[in-house]
Parts: sequence; structure tokens; C-alpha cells
Amino acid sequence: MLASHFRRTTLFGVTIATILLGGVAGSAGTSFAAAIVGETHRIETSPKPASGIEAMKSEYRRPDSILFPADNPYSPGKTSLGKKLYFDPRLSSTSAQSCASCHNPGFGWGDGLSVGVGHGMEKLSRRSPTVVNAAWGAIFMWDGRAASLEEQALGPIQSAREMDMPIDRLVDRLNSISSYGSLFESAFPGEGLNPNTLAKAIAAYERTIVSEQAPFDAWVEGDEQAISEQAKRGFVVFNTKGQCSSCHEGWNFTNDGFQDIGLPSADIGRGKYLPDIVKMQHAFKTPGLREITSRAPYMHDGSLVRLEDVIEHYDQGGIDRPSRSDLMKPLGLTSQEKADLVAFLKTLTSNLSPTAVPTLPR
Amino acid sequence: MRQLVLITIVILTGFSVGALAANLTIHQQGRKFSSESVTIKAGETLTFVNDDTVPHNIYSASRGNEFNLGSQAPGMSTEVTFTEAGDVQVLCAIHPRMKMAVKITN
Repeated sequence: MLASHFRRTTLFGVTIATILLGGVAGSAGTSFAAAIVGETHRIETSPKPASGIEAMKSEYRRPDSILFPADNPYSPGKTSLGKKLYFDPRLSSTSAQSCASCHNPGFGWGDGLSVGVGHGMEKLSRRSPTVVNAAWGAIFMWDGRAASLEEQALGPIQSAREMDMPIDRLVDRLNSISSYGSLFESAFPGEGLNPNTLAKAIAAYERTIVSEQAPFDAWVEGDEQAISEQAKRGFVVFNTKGQCSSCHEGWNFTNDGFQDIGLPSADIGRGKYLPDIVKMQHAFKTPGLREITSRAPYMHDGSLVRLEDVIEHYDQGGIDRPSRSDLMKPLGLTSQEKADLVAFLKTLTSNLSPTAVPTLPR
Repeated sequence: MRQLVLITIVILTGFSVGALAANLTIHQQGRKFSSESVTIKAGETLTFVNDDTVPHNIYSASRGNEFNLGSQAPGMSTEVTFTEAGDVQVLCAIHPRMKMAVKITN
């Protein structure tokens, strides 16, 4: 009896604490109720010492090799097949659109448009993201609806708004092209051509699409002449006052996180999949910044044309609404700091080698 | 008045018991949980501390132990009491690489 009374009282106390501290916790969703969220309070944390520029640079070293998952390891035959599939417009119902139509090497593996163009030349609602450095991705699509690159690869093919190709029909079509059968059998012995191997081949090829050595990388590796003094100042602003590196972190300049950065768009993005989490409304995946000057216009909706416009948006902080990231607030950057940031961002673009379009099976 | 004092004492004692029963603190630093997996008993508490430089949004959609801390600012600490036995996945909605498993036993 006593124990029961204690438990009920404790729960009552915690409930009261949850209600009282709701403002501190911020945006606890109403549909999460089974575990009990108790007190939130401030704790003493030791402030992180300011990093010098060499310590900052060390966070951006390029990896030595490409990551391939254990269930889809690299093989030359597989990536060669994946490249043919990637560039083959017969993967769409009209035989007019390939993966490369929207993820074009000539535009930093995007399409240079504000929003993608899908089946029937209809405009889509979001900008086509680049596939550069997808091998390091943790989650895919602007709204994170694909958990792997393999899953992502089959999404646009089957989407009625994009390539509009039912997967069974695609397998039949590719099977009717005789040399595809032998290429699949060679790349996937005993498995042949099926939706799973189709996805694996495309994903394996996409993992080989890696941004090349940019001036920034040469600077990180010790060549002080590789970038301008202005760009070096911009790198410091990027990592300090600008707070850009809070999300655009690491060598690929993204932590694959989701943030509402306050753009005036009705699109709820990640919120479709996490409707009870306030901060996920209007949140989109943080894109990497490699090859950035080849990939204008910018943002998930392609609404900002120049890098200067992007910096201006972050400096102002975007629309203040409950879902907006707590990191978004006016930065007070000077015009010199803004120009320095743009100079730095331009050092992230390499001289990408030309990509040869493969001869396709007939 | 005496009743109010008693209730207050009982509430405070209740919190103490909860704190004693749950001595596990999970840190969030460098966009990582300090533990990939922990095992606790039903009714015990984990304390989630954001000692990172950015906000986190810890939640779980695991049946029976759902919760959502909302945006937790750096320097804040929140306790979560898990009530149902089972396997719970705790995630950060903002940073999808952050994942941890909590096994709740009876």
C-alpha cells in the first residue's frame, strides 16, 4: 500500500514537473507519453576551449578510401554495370530520362535547375540533390525517407512523378536487352537481374562518384598558397561566428542532420515522417558543400541563386517559427565576413575530371 | 497545511528514490551518445545530458516507451523513466547518426 502510494505520488510529482518544465523542454510532442519525461535542468558544463586554425583544419581531412557496405561490396563489374544503368534512359517509362538527367556530372551531379523536372516534363517540388559523396551518407533524400543508397536508387525510378517506371516492367524491359542479362550475371553470380541487384549496381556506381581534390584540400594538407588569405579568413568565420560548421561539419561538410533553416516554403520535409516532433517540421537534410559552385541554385527549393544570397539568408536567420532550428538567429556578419565566407566556399570546388558516358547495351 | 507538507515531503522523497534507482547518465557530445547500449529495469531512469555544442532532440518511438524531449539545448539535463520492459531504440531526430539501444528488463 505504501509502495503503491509512493509510486503514484512520484508519478504525480514527475507529471507536475513535466508540465512546469515543458517550456524548458521546448516542444515535447503530445502523442509521446509512455516513458515519463521528468525534470529538465541546467547543469554546469566546462566551456569548450577555442580551437586554433590548425585544429579546425584537422577536422576536414579527406578520407583515404570509399566506404562500401558489407552487403554490397565493391567490384569493378558491378560499378561498370551500375554506370550503364545510371546513364540509361530506358530506366524511365518514356525511355527519355535517366538518373543522369537530374544528377548530371556537368552540373556537379545535380541539374542546375531550381527544382527537378520529372515525368511529362512536370516540375517537381524540390531541387535535385547532388550524388557526390553519397557513399558517406547516413540517410537519403531531402526528407530522409530512404535509409540506404540502394533504397534511394529505386525510389525515383518507380515514382509516378519522376521516372514513372514500375519495377517489374523495368526488369522485363532490361531482360529483353540481351547483354544486360550477362552483365548482371557476371556482377551478381547466381542472382542475375532483379530489383535487388539493380539497386545494388546503381548504388555501387554512385559510391564511386567522389568529389576530387579541391584547393581547400591542398591547403588542409599544408600548401599555404592553395587558397587566398580571404578564403582562410572565411574558413575561420565558417567555424566560429558563422556557426556554419555546426551542421556543415567534416570533410564532406554535412552531418546529415535535419534542420528547419527558416525558408518561406510550405513543404514540411522531414515532418511528414516525424509529425509529432516540432523541430522536424520544415526540416530538410543538411547538404554537403563539395563542388558547390557547380551546383547553383541553392537550398532544398532552389530559391537562392547565388552563394551571396545563401550567406545573406543565414545572416538574417530566416522565418522565426516554432520549428526553426535553435541555431538559426541573426549572426551580425559584416560585409567583409560575408565576402570572406563566399571566397572560402569557392575553394570547395574541384576541377572535376570529365565523365565519359558509357556505351549502352542494345 | 500538515497534509500539504506531508505531500511535499513524499514528492521530494519520491524524486530521491527515483534518482537513486537510476544512476545512469547518457552524455551527448560530438553528435554521439556516450553509450551505444544500456540495460536497466522497468521503472528506472536515464538522465540525458546535452554536453554538446548544438541542440539535440532525443526521442523514441518504441512501443510502450515512447517519449520526445523536444529541442534540448546545450547545458541541459533531462530524466526519462522507462516504464515497460522491452527493447527501446533512442534516436536524435536532428542527427540521424545518433542511435542507442536501451534494454528494459522486469
